[in-house]
Amino acid sequence: MTLQEFKENCAHIEREYTDKIASAGNVSAVEELRVAALGRKGALTELLKNLKDFSIEDKKAAGPLGNALKAALTQALEEKTAALAAQELNEQLNRVDLDLTLPARPVPCGKRHPLSIAQKRMTDILSKLGFTWAEGPWVEDEKHNFDMLNIPKHHPARDAQDTFFAQTGSPLSMVLRTHTSNVQSRFMEKHQPPLRIMAPGRVFRNDSLDATHSPVFHQIEGLYVDKNVSMADLKRDLTAFMKGLLGDKTEIRFRPSFFPFTEPSAEVDVKCVFCSGKGCHICKGSGWIEMLGSGVVHPNVLKNCGIDPEIYSGYAFGMGVERLAMMMMDINDIRAFYENDLRLLNQF
Amino acid sequence: MKILYSWLKDFIDLDFTPEELAQKFTQLGMEVASIEKKGADFEGVSVAQITHIENHPDSDHLHLVDLDLGGGKTQRVVCGAPNVAVGQKVPLARVGARLGKTVLGPAKIRGVVSEGMICSSDELGLTNTRARGILVLDENIPLGTDVRTLYGKADALFDLEITSNRPDLMSHLGVARELSALLNKPVKQPAPKEFAGEGESLNVDIRDAQACPRYTGRIIRGVKNAESPDFIKERLSAMGLNPKNALVDVTNYVMFELGQPLHAFDRNEIDGDTIVVRRAQNGEKFILLDGRELTLDENALMIGDDKKATALAGVMGGLNSGIKEDTTDIFIESAYFDAPTTNKTSKTYAVSSDSSQRFERGADIGMTELALKRATELFVAACGGTPSKIRDAYPHPYENPVVHFTPAQINGILGADIAEEKLKDIFSRLALKFDASGKEWTFQAPTHRRDLNHRWDLAEEAARFAGFDCIPAGESRAFVQFNDNPKGVDLLELFSEKLAGLGFYECKNIDFLGEKELKDFGFEPKNAVKIKNAMAKGWDYMRPTLLPALLKNIAFNQSRGNADLALFEATRTFNLIKGFPAETYTVSGVQCGRLTHRPFFKANGEKPDFFFLKGIMQNLLEGFEGVSFAPSVSAPVYMHPKICMDVLINGKKAGVFGAVHPLALKACDVKENEVWAFELALKPLEKMFSAQEFKPAKAVTAFPPSLRDLSVMLDKTVPYAQIKDVLQNTPLNVNLRFDLIDLYEGDRLPQGKKSVTFTLAFSAPDRTLKDAETDAAFNALLENLKAKTGAELR
Repeated sequence: MTLQEFKENCAHIEREYTDKIASAGNVSAVEELRVAALGRKGALTELLKNLKDFSIEDKKAAGPLGNALKAALTQALEEKTAALAAQELNEQLNRVDLDLTLPARPVPCGKRHPLSIAQKRMTDILSKLGFTWAEGPWVEDEKHNFDMLNIPKHHPARDAQDTFFAQTGSPLSMVLRTHTSNVQSRFMEKHQPPLRIMAPGRVFRNDSLDATHSPVFHQIEGLYVDKNVSMADLKRDLTAFMKGLLGDKTEIRFRPSFFPFTEPSAEVDVKCVFCSGKGCHICKGSGWIEMLGSGVVHPNVLKNCGIDPEIYSGYAFGMGVERLAMMMMDINDIRAFYENDLRLLNQF
Repeated sequence: MKILYSWLKDFIDLDFTPEELAQKFTQLGMEVASIEKKGADFEGVSVAQITHIENHPDSDHLHLVDLDLGGGKTQRVVCGAPNVAVGQKVPLARVGARLGKTVLGPAKIRGVVSEGMICSSDELGLTNTRARGILVLDENIPLGTDVRTLYGKADALFDLEITSNRPDLMSHLGVARELSALLNKPVKQPAPKEFAGEGESLNVDIRDAQACPRYTGRIIRGVKNAESPDFIKERLSAMGLNPKNALVDVTNYVMFELGQPLHAFDRNEIDGDTIVVRRAQNGEKFILLDGRELTLDENALMIGDDKKATALAGVMGGLNSGIKEDTTDIFIESAYFDAPTTNKTSKTYAVSSDSSQRFERGADIGMTELALKRATELFVAACGGTPSKIRDAYPHPYENPVVHFTPAQINGILGADIAEEKLKDIFSRLALKFDASGKEWTFQAPTHRRDLNHRWDLAEEAARFAGFDCIPAGESRAFVQFNDNPKGVDLLELFSEKLAGLGFYECKNIDFLGEKELKDFGFEPKNAVKIKNAMAKGWDYMRPTLLPALLKNIAFNQSRGNADLALFEATRTFNLIKGFPAETYTVSGVQCGRLTHRPFFKANGEKPDFFFLKGIMQNLLEGFEGVSFAPSVSAPVYMHPKICMDVLINGKKAGVFGAVHPLALKACDVKENEVWAFELALKPLEKMFSAQEFKPAKAVTAFPPSLRDLSVMLDKTVPYAQIKDVLQNTPLNVNLRFDLIDLYEGDRLPQGKKSVTFTLAFSAPDRTLKDAETDAAFNALLENLKAKTGAELR
């Protein structure tokens, strides 16, 4: 065989098998082609046997040519096999007939209580504003719940709190705290300014249990005492707090009020988030919603806690968690929070 | 406090609409609970009858309406009301009529001129809400009648919420004074008719000058009780009081007008000539005007005579000396009783009145004489009679403290920048004495403002009268601090989040429970915090356990159709330690029914078992050192005696978990006999927990373990814990992890035997184990098991 004939044969085999491989319809057809081309008696194998009779010069030219063709065919065969296998797999997968619209398996997953969710929103925002979490007892003595907060005995402000009294072996007269403000007296008696705390938690009032009242409910208290803290600081921080809670467009206003532990005292309203202040049934047409009570810490409170009101001043605020949750979660009966009906709990 | 607009106008000139006035009240800090409008605030509206209706040429809902005005006059107007019909008698406002503040002019409506309008009830100001159409009047009313005569004079009744520091606003004069300061308009001071007085009044013997620093009174002799004049009856009715007779009504009238509570006694029921103000004797009996009998002690301040008590001072009169229809001589008391005394009396005996509410907040000690004169004037006008001289026992006239301050201090408290001139203006309107001539200013409040004691009080006044909007949102202040949360708080949060992730729903329950529940759950009432004034039976104690409430949550949800439940609560529990209240952060959970909360077509609903609960506990406590579980030696009464484990933290019991005792389930009305529960006190975990601390990682090996199964048979009586112990404590040269994969106790085994199968995973940190190493370890374990537990290889 001449070198020229060898080259022609190579070209011929390449053409023939490239076409055949391309048009092979299944894996066994590809295997047959492999045997026919590269098997022990395959066309290319037979052709390469002629190399041994070639001159050294011709071998140098023909050898690489034959080897390249062998490699190319091997690769084409492998690729074709893989392609056919993938195709067969896909066909097999496509024969699967599963009704994906059947219901989801109910994988157990619990939820936090709506009041926890609301409280967490508040504590998260206040944390960002630099408030530290502080706690105080729920069974509290009258001194910390009332006296130190400038709510003297035999004063209507004290009566207005509908206090539960606790029977204990303590020599002090104990109550269930009527507000989170006891944390103010607890904290300030132990810490000198500057201080900035938040105190969320349960409070107790001997009030009726109805759609808007519960003997147990939740408040969150804020307190900031430092040099030169003013009503303007309160307004800035409450604006930020309310924006965090209700959105960046939230506006607030101060309204004069009275709390024994603040002077001046202000009720804080936010512009109704449901009607943008135009007036609706939630804001009772006023365009504003009462959100919380606040003010400048009364100098007597600072004094009672051992802080000099001539050097330091502070602000304080207190807000109901249920009230906000009811409004924002559209729950119109406070008792719903304490019934723990799964159908309510699993909505949040 | 109810305030009648027309009454207010006796003391100050006002021309606001009720809504505008309400805004002023709000600005001043008086919340307006309601405005009730009364009567007609319009002029020139008369009754007309509709005779003809045709469609407006340029509108499909407007009509052209012809009306008969009576006296042969007619009028055509444009009307858009849906309810207009021929024959109706309606209120017609013609050009020139006044509706509230609006005077009506001609209006061109879609090309047609209308020289008047048919009114709806809200256009006439008769209702606050928008009416759906025109007001249709009774057909018998004659044409041409002035509609105003059908409704009476315009007025408005405000219900104001007065804060407890402002008793001076509990009267019409008081509210007028406040508006006067806001509007800078004078108050028309009451100037009742003076009587020279004939004859002496009663002597006054004050034996507790602290409780009663002023007592003013006089007698009116020869009165004849009568009906009150109309204006008194109308105003009292508007205030919500039933007028009785002049002798009773006048005292109420003056109280609402001037804020001073008065009491009128029948003079002839008073023995002797002296009024005695004294403390009650211990055990003294007294019958109130309303018939209630009280047994008094020295906390009560009494009004009396030589022989007996006649009134509970400042709170309520006695039955023995009240005004009767035929009373001829009256003694009028106009006194000042101090706030704490009155509050104590009112509280102790649970008697409250309009009078006590004013005294306990603080009445105006300067008002007694003027109020007495005003009452005299009204009594004499209605009932005749001859007033005596006034006796005014007021040994030490009261003055408010003088406040020293600078305008900078006022602005400092507010963070505002109110001009000095403005501040001067505000304070001078409020003060009895005000001096701003020096650098430091001085302010003294009149007697009716006892709440103005230091500069903080004055700062509030400045803000109120300048408007709270004068307070800006201040500049940002740098304040850097970082403090950890209290550990209990972080632990509650950690456990709550884990439990929610593990399929539990968080509950919140009222913290109270009853004595029966305490006992059902094995708690001693004497170790629980008792509520002295509980709201309801069954709510007498602060709960020492969260489980009863959670079990009731199960019962409640079962009654609402949900029986597959996993619930938890994380909060405080309460008990007494040596008598002192102690509060413990506690987390508890309950689980019953199926694991999946709904049935599912591919599963019948797997139920949790004890080992599922144990897995929950293990997940919860994962990461805490020193935690172990041990079968409870004596389970709490509310738990199953044999299916209950203690949670031990460093060997100390911190909680339990297991099956709830069927009797505890029954006590909580749970309709299910398998409920899993846990309760865990978090205190012992606090020491080993910090949310801020990073935990160092243990290295993981890159070499896979060699796995072998080990199946042995041993006596049933050998507990798993013992087998585990052997596996854990057999000395090996390699690492071992083992998982129990099968436990068999049945017919295929000899009596009294069980078979346990483990998958053992052997590994080394630095290499893949050779078979020989694995075999050696496996054999060491087997031999040790054989020796220690009598196990045989299966």
